[in-house]
Amino acid sequence: MTVFGFLDWLWVVLYLLIMVGAGVLFYRLGRRGQSDFFLAGRGLPWWLPAASVYATHTATDTPMWFAGVVYRYGLAGIWYSFFAAWCAISAFVSTRIFRRSLAYTQAEWNTIRFSGLGAELLRGWMSGWQVFMSMFILGWVGIAMGKVCQYLFDWPVWVGLVVFSSMCAAYVMASGYWGVIMADFLQGVIAFAVILIVSVWGMLAAGGPSGIIDKLAAMGQSSRLNPFSFSGWFTGDFPIAWFLTMMVIALLGGFGMGTSIDWYVEAQRIQSARTVRDASYSIWWGTALVLMRNAVWAPAILGFYVLYPNIQDTKEYEMAWFRIGFDYLPVGMVGFFFAGIIAIHISTISAVLNLGAMYFTRDLYLHYWKRTATETELVWVGRLATLVLLIGSFFYGLMMEEITSWLIFALWIMAAGVWLPNILQVVWWRFNAWGYLSSWIANLGLSWLLVWVLPSFGVIPELPDYQQFWVLMILGALIYVPITFLTRPDDLDHLVRYYVMSRPIGWWGPIRREAQRRGLLARANA
Amino acid sequence: MDKFYMVVGMSIAYLASFLGLALAWYSWRKHEKEKRQ
Repeated sequence: MTVFGFLDWLWVVLYLLIMVGAGVLFYRLGRRGQSDFFLAGRGLPWWLPAASVYATHTATDTPMWFAGVVYRYGLAGIWYSFFAAWCAISAFVSTRIFRRSLAYTQAEWNTIRFSGLGAELLRGWMSGWQVFMSMFILGWVGIAMGKVCQYLFDWPVWVGLVVFSSMCAAYVMASGYWGVIMADFLQGVIAFAVILIVSVWGMLAAGGPSGIIDKLAAMGQSSRLNPFSFSGWFTGDFPIAWFLTMMVIALLGGFGMGTSIDWYVEAQRIQSARTVRDASYSIWWGTALVLMRNAVWAPAILGFYVLYPNIQDTKEYEMAWFRIGFDYLPVGMVGFFFAGIIAIHISTISAVLNLGAMYFTRDLYLHYWKRTATETELVWVGRLATLVLLIGSFFYGLMMEEITSWLIFALWIMAAGVWLPNILQVVWWRFNAWGYLSSWIANLGLSWLLVWVLPSFGVIPELPDYQQFWVLMILGALIYVPITFLTRPDDLDHLVRYYVMSRPIGWWGPIRREAQRRGLLARANA
Repeated sequence: MDKFYMVVGMSIAYLASFLGLALAWYSWRKHEKEKRQ
């Protein structure tokens, strides 16, 4: 239990006033219509969405799982966060293609890239999934905050979950994405400062970099300093096969859309940038900041390891970074640290609230329910959807027992079986709506069976995660490849329109030639 | 209650996705009917 002094609470209250105030300030801009409420009018310079990408991907549960892998594996654990490197490729490939399409959401992009009934069903499927997924993410990030507050103040878990998410929802409902993006910028700056200060403080408490290295050597644990300390090709808990699988997922994944759960949040930031180039820079720099953040965290966690080397309980060492802050910072600074944690927390909550509301408003309400809705009406639907997501997230959060097992499963079902279809839809003209929809439905069923159901009944052994990836990829392909070839290609006019507007890369020869024949590609005819 | 939660959680996910799918199907049918008239 941590005791806060007057100065500590002053930091927290001042900070909350600035945060919520900054969000509400943009009320007049956010209420102008759906383009402002969900995309800030598509007019943002690259550094604003970049800060938002960074702030959104730094959540309360992030230092928990990151501390978990670094405490367990040493610096090699950093590779678990290297999945984010897909953005370095995507920034110059799928980011540009998505920005040119002008789709608000990935679900809407489906109806621009694909045609007919299949595309419509796909859009409905994906928007339903994303509304649910937003609630799910809000729940798991919220419960992480609940646990931090329980650890600090002995509050019941629901207090930290409900109080901070509700404060955040106030400005998200008032000004939509304008509030999200402006508050994210402030929160991103505060979060980076806090992470830097606390991590350096933790390293110094453990004797500084040379002290940590000496202590690790004395403990016979120098291998923890080697990021390539593999346990064998296929054996142990850090095999080379895992590393190679991760590199394939990350680097080739940059050619796809939906490579990880993060894509859907980033797609909104991509679309809010004022030009294609701004969109590229925002994704590249936002992710670069995420990887720099990890590089600051990792040595601090190693410092924690040399101070407390024998913790067996995962839940205890996952709190390593929080313990560094609360055990070693002087009184008065602890409040500053807690304000930083709130910044880390609500920047993620605000982004996901607005994202889920966008899928509900733009895809389910406007596209499928009431195409004649006015702009004012859409803003109000967006606000109502934000409130429903908030309340739903409380139920989801309180249902979650263990953060990590849910997180890993959710990441897997979004990454494994649909990883290749996500790339194919961008780079191959013949891949059609029915192929993509069947890959999604098959993946949900297959991953559930392979990861949870069959192993728990002893039908198959529990496979390591990298093997699950390859098995799910192959099993899924056995379903969606035949379906793609057994159904007709998408409508030619539709594909030509998409090609001319979005300029995809890859195997688009027949469509490009048709576009040239129609005189729609000026440069090619010159 | 053991880590039951997985089944409940995933069932809601399926339900949400299929509700979206059903809404799309209903909307498609409505537009096709309007086009024919």
